[in-house]
Amino acid sequence: MSSNTELAGKSNQSKNIITYLIIGIVFLIALWLSSQSEGPSKFPKVVTDEFTFTAWVNEGEDFLKKNYRWMTKIIAGYIKACYYFVEDFLLESPWLLITAIIFLPCMIAGGLKLGLYSLFVVYFWGATGMWEPSLQTVALMGLSVLLCVFFGFILGVLCSQSDRFEGFMKPVLDTMQVMPAFVYLFPALFFFGIGGAPAILATMIYAMPPIIRLTNTGIRQVPAQTIESATSFGSSKLQLLFKIKIPLSLPSIMMGINQVIMMALALVVLACFIGAEGIGGQVWQAIRRLDVGWAMEGGLCILFMAIMFDRFSSAFSKTKERLPSDVQKFYLLPQGWAKYHLARLIEKPLKITHDVMKYICVFTTNLIAYFIKFLISTVNKTSAEDIGEFISKRYYIIPSFIVFFIITIIDLYFIKIGSFPEEWRLSIRQPITNAVESLTVNPGFIAFTKSLRAFVYLNLLRPLDIFLTHIPWWYTMAVFIALGYITVGIRFALITTLLLLFIGACGIWSHSMITLSSVLVSVALCFVIGVPLGIIASYNERFRNIQNVVLDAMQTLPYFCYLIPVLMFFGGGTVSAVLATVIYSIPPIIRLTSLGLTQVSGTYSEVSRSFGGTLIQTLNKVKFPLAVPSLVIGFNQTVIMAFAMQIVTPLIGGKGLGLEVFNGLARSDTGRGLAAGIGIVLLAIIIDRITLAWTKKQREALGL
Amino acid sequence: MKLTKTISALFLSLVLLIGSLGQANAAKRLHAAIADWTGGIITCEVAVAILEREYGYKVKQTVFPSGTGLWEAIAAGEIDFACESWPSYAEADSVMLNEDLIYEGKVVGSYSGDGSVDLLGTSGIIGLSDYWIPKYAAEEFGIKTWKDLNKHKAKFATIETGNRGRLIGCPVAGWNCHDQKRLDILGIDFQADELGTEAAAIAEAKAAYMRKEPFLLYLWSPHWFFGEFDMVGVQLPEHKVCDPDTFTEAGNWKDCGKKGWPGTGWAKDYTMNYGNPAVFAKAENADAKKFFENMSLQNIDQAKMLVEVDIKKRDVKEVVAEWLDNNPDKWKPWLK
Repeated sequence: MSSNTELAGKSNQSKNIITYLIIGIVFLIALWLSSQSEGPSKFPKVVTDEFTFTAWVNEGEDFLKKNYRWMTKIIAGYIKACYYFVEDFLLESPWLLITAIIFLPCMIAGGLKLGLYSLFVVYFWGATGMWEPSLQTVALMGLSVLLCVFFGFILGVLCSQSDRFEGFMKPVLDTMQVMPAFVYLFPALFFFGIGGAPAILATMIYAMPPIIRLTNTGIRQVPAQTIESATSFGSSKLQLLFKIKIPLSLPSIMMGINQVIMMALALVVLACFIGAEGIGGQVWQAIRRLDVGWAMEGGLCILFMAIMFDRFSSAFSKTKERLPSDVQKFYLLPQGWAKYHLARLIEKPLKITHDVMKYICVFTTNLIAYFIKFLISTVNKTSAEDIGEFISKRYYIIPSFIVFFIITIIDLYFIKIGSFPEEWRLSIRQPITNAVESLTVNPGFIAFTKSLRAFVYLNLLRPLDIFLTHIPWWYTMAVFIALGYITVGIRFALITTLLLLFIGACGIWSHSMITLSSVLVSVALCFVIGVPLGIIASYNERFRNIQNVVLDAMQTLPYFCYLIPVLMFFGGGTVSAVLATVIYSIPPIIRLTSLGLTQVSGTYSEVSRSFGGTLIQTLNKVKFPLAVPSLVIGFNQTVIMAFAMQIVTPLIGGKGLGLEVFNGLARSDTGRGLAAGIGIVLLAIIIDRITLAWTKKQREALGL
Repeated sequence: MKLTKTISALFLSLVLLIGSLGQANAAKRLHAAIADWTGGIITCEVAVAILEREYGYKVKQTVFPSGTGLWEAIAAGEIDFACESWPSYAEADSVMLNEDLIYEGKVVGSYSGDGSVDLLGTSGIIGLSDYWIPKYAAEEFGIKTWKDLNKHKAKFATIETGNRGRLIGCPVAGWNCHDQKRLDILGIDFQADELGTEAAAIAEAKAAYMRKEPFLLYLWSPHWFFGEFDMVGVQLPEHKVCDPDTFTEAGNWKDCGKKGWPGTGWAKDYTMNYGNPAVFAKAENADAKKFFENMSLQNIDQAKMLVEVDIKKRDVKEVVAEWLDNNPDKWKPWLK
């Protein structure tokens, strides 16, 4: 037994040595080749001259614009009209009405806690002077969510009814989710014009998959017995679907809606790049004016808004837990504090208010229900009963509408309430700006940032840039194809060849190598910083909890918020672009390192310790190898996020494909922008597939 | 029960959709672009504020990078108007405008394009672009014109440029500054770095000035930077164009050396506002068209507002509203 494992270990070791040797040789040849070449490697001119993708796209765009423009214009016009309608309503209504429209549903769904939180959020929008942009963002998001849910629900139901349709939709959904959002943001711009319409359509592509998937699985997971009993009672297929299956799958559908909301919010903010209004645009303007405080306020508005919508939609989908009636229910404080006298004292008036309010609500609703019942009963008795019951069960809806109505009446006929009062402004802009500015002129800190900049540029970025751009293109391509073949298989190797040939033939080879190099440097830095943080988090629970909150916030903030502080401290340029990328894409690697290490079950590390392994040994020899799959997933996500960031880094001096996209946009050269955008996606896809396949192999090797 | 809730929500949304159709054309709406430099933003905000105050328009503003893309968006009717186009920076003006540019009664430029974009009139701002160095550096090294730059290029080098000097260049490629080309033609051994945004370029320059380091900066005036820091222009050769003008995309960017653009500095820019011809031909927008013909914001006024906005970090809308309140004599004549 023991000799067996020894043997396996030995053969493993020799295999490892061979692998490293091969990698080393490949690397040395690359180094030699790149030192030999005089300038950046260029694709054969014959190919790039013949393959005029840019011109084709531009011609195609002209053709489409000429012949199908009327169609996209109608769609865009319709969506735009809806958007203007919602936006006008939100912006022109008195602020009290908006507050009530947000506060009441939150309170009804999530109780007093969520209600108070929503009040805070609304106050924050107004106080920071982001009232209008916030509502614009809400309008854009609301409309996209509505459309997503509408079409997503229909598609999901169709998927659940036909296996063939599901088989067709699956790859489509996969592509929708893998594709970075900015790829279709720009084409949407070219077909649907700028502003709200393309933003909403792009958001629909981005945010629809979860609702389709969850509707589908929800309906498919309805237990067979239920269906059988329903069929045995003679329900038809449609009855079965609408009366049994869909109602039973509502929790799953609601979860889908929750995800749709969060994803839509993320993209609506990003859509400022194609001219959509809202907080995204504010943050972008703040970046242009180097106003950290302003950008931060915008970021916080979105962060708070996201939390509110998330809590609201999940509260809506959850069934409320019922406390036994003899326990006093707490409305604001944690239930566990019931033993404290003070807490009970605070809760007492809340309970009384709640009871009074409830009584009023129930009373008015019943009154109205009675009236309506009476009115309808003159026509039809049975439906009158139904309607009356329907209304009085929802005792919160009618009072809410009465509140809205009263506010509107007051605004129209008595006092003009108008937009959020200016006197309530409370800006945190200045303190944040001051803090950052004092850091900017702090000699010690600037010395640190300067040396960091010099280090990253001289030792990482420039050598890698030169190395990657100078290696002949065929060599780089061969390496990628070989990697694809070894990790995934012959088919993927062929696909890789085609994708890389496309990049080369578009004439953006050296741009894509620059992008690749800045992504690699960013990911390497993420790794160096992120893994230690992950390790600490895996050992210390308190640290982990704090870190998780910070990471959550980091991931919810729109990702161009990070550009300004980096710009202030490091100046513009490629190094700043790399550092901004690091800040944005580091969370997954930290999270998954700590997750991977904590998931390695206690027994393994205990066994190792009982054999006398030190802490470092246990970490190094036992935990890390077992956590590798999780680490690689983190690595993979970090890479994808780093690629996504490449689209905004040109704003602070980033180079490569992202800059090409920007230049294409500014010069109205669709082909150029699109080719570069596709280039980023193709690189991301290749690397994503290779790392994922590698993880799979690792998992299998470890028997996980 | 929950199903009915979902259905009623869907129903409500349908009502919203249908109801919205009638609403869209009700208000007098215009759609303006927000420029990517503060001066342009202020000029446009002045126009927008007056249109809203005096004529009851409702103007929607969208952030959009300036360049040919913006011109095409205007020609396509996606944006109705944009402000303060600088002729030296625009490439599309000669293709898309078909009108004379008149400044204080004098014709300062004429265009013979296809007329797909309407020249609304001058904005009043006269722009000047150059390369600048801080005064302390000019005095220390004795740099008087661009010809002295090469001698001191090592002082202007950074880690990114090696032994060449560094120009913090025109930040956006769409502005067509051709910085590197100009440097090469004039034989200045500097590298032009394009930092992507005005903010990035200015952040660099500001930090360098605070540390009293030498730097070469592309910048235009009026700009707040000159209000806060003491800068000296390097006096690039006077603007000339090749005859015939070969440095175009059609002419394959063939230059004629030091004789003409881009081997020279920029021309004096009489900036202008431009819009969609169909939109401004509408009877309901006659007021707006008339207003743009008369608008003429002076450099000094923009410069004052620039200081408020960029140095004191105040809100653009607030600053412009304040200026309008305090200086009715300056803008009331535009309304006639």
